[in-house]
Amino acid sequence: MIVLVLAFALGITLGLLANLSVPAVLLTYVGVAVLAALDSCMGGIRASLERTFDDKTFIFGFVSNTLMAGFIVFVGDRVGVRELYLAAVVAFGVRLFDNLGAIRRLFFERMGWE
Amino acid sequence: MDKLRARPVLVAVFAVLGFMLAVAFNSSARAHNTRGSRSADLAGVVRDMERDRTALQASLDELRGEVEGIDRRAAAAVGLQESFTKDLEEARVAAGLTDYAGPGLRVTLSDAAEVPPGEDPNSCLVHDYDLAAVVNALFVGGAEAVSVNGERVSGSTPIRCAGTTVLVNATRVGSPYVIDAVGVPADLEAALAEDVAVSLVFGEYTVRYGLQATKERLTEVTVPSYKGNVSPLFARAVSEGER
Repeated sequence: MIVLVLAFALGITLGLLANLSVPAVLLTYVGVAVLAALDSCMGGIRASLERTFDDKTFIFGFVSNTLMAGFIVFVGDRVGVRELYLAAVVAFGVRLFDNLGAIRRLFFERMGWE
Repeated sequence: MDKLRARPVLVAVFAVLGFMLAVAFNSSARAHNTRGSRSADLAGVVRDMERDRTALQASLDELRGEVEGIDRRAAAAVGLQESFTKDLEEARVAAGLTDYAGPGLRVTLSDAAEVPPGEDPNSCLVHDYDLAAVVNALFVGGAEAVSVNGERVSGSTPIRCAGTTVLVNATRVGSPYVIDAVGVPADLEAALAEDVAVSLVFGEYTVRYGLQATKERLTEVTVPSYKGNVSPLFARAVSEGER
């Protein structure tokens, strides 16, 4: 677990050091992609706790979630329904809290608090 | 209790997540800076450019001084200093590159303090064409040098509207507009009185729209030198022989 936190901190540090910035037009893409990544990571932790973690599933899930999220934003832009990205935001948001709940439960179980 | 081991893939993706978050944070911070207040941003650009221009003008002045010095030395070397510097001085004066001082007239025009009820606010402002009319009338009256808010009116000076301000040369000037002219005060005043457009400014516009227009004879008025570019890009001088 500590390794995860360290990796996360390392990523943030690198990101800030790289000082990249995405044009304002693409900001929605980045936001949704971050949300997708966050969701995948939560899913990954949950799967680890449930002992069902599989490298391939995880990586594929991460990539496909992010791509699909980007695609939805793109389609929304093209079709003229800019708010379509909300679909991705809501879906990932719900899953995020779902996963968080599961993680909490599993964690308590492991700690024997339940 | 068995130790939970983080998979390398999960660790790697966490690093990626951190990276993405940092980039997203960076981008949105910047986007809000620039998108949040576009007009403020543009105003900043204008301010920056005006500051640059001031700096460039200072260096231009300096370089002109240097050129003058070099010209003098060169002329001295050839032994033609007298006539050469005299020619040069005359050319400078003709081009408006020297400050001018002498008796003259000062015309001050200001926007109306408040719009009289029922009048178009646009009518209560001093416009570029009002200034142009005054400047033109002053030249008609034999003005030898004219400046608007310290901007010398040269042979290639445009006076034009730029939003709520007026551009003279490339400088923004705003109300109150102070137009200084070196010349015979009585002649200048007569020319102003004869000009139809100027008479409107001093007459109807003042009475009806609340514009403020005053003229004042001065025994000594200084008109600063032209600060703009005098080297033509496309025109070339045609000498006597060529014609």
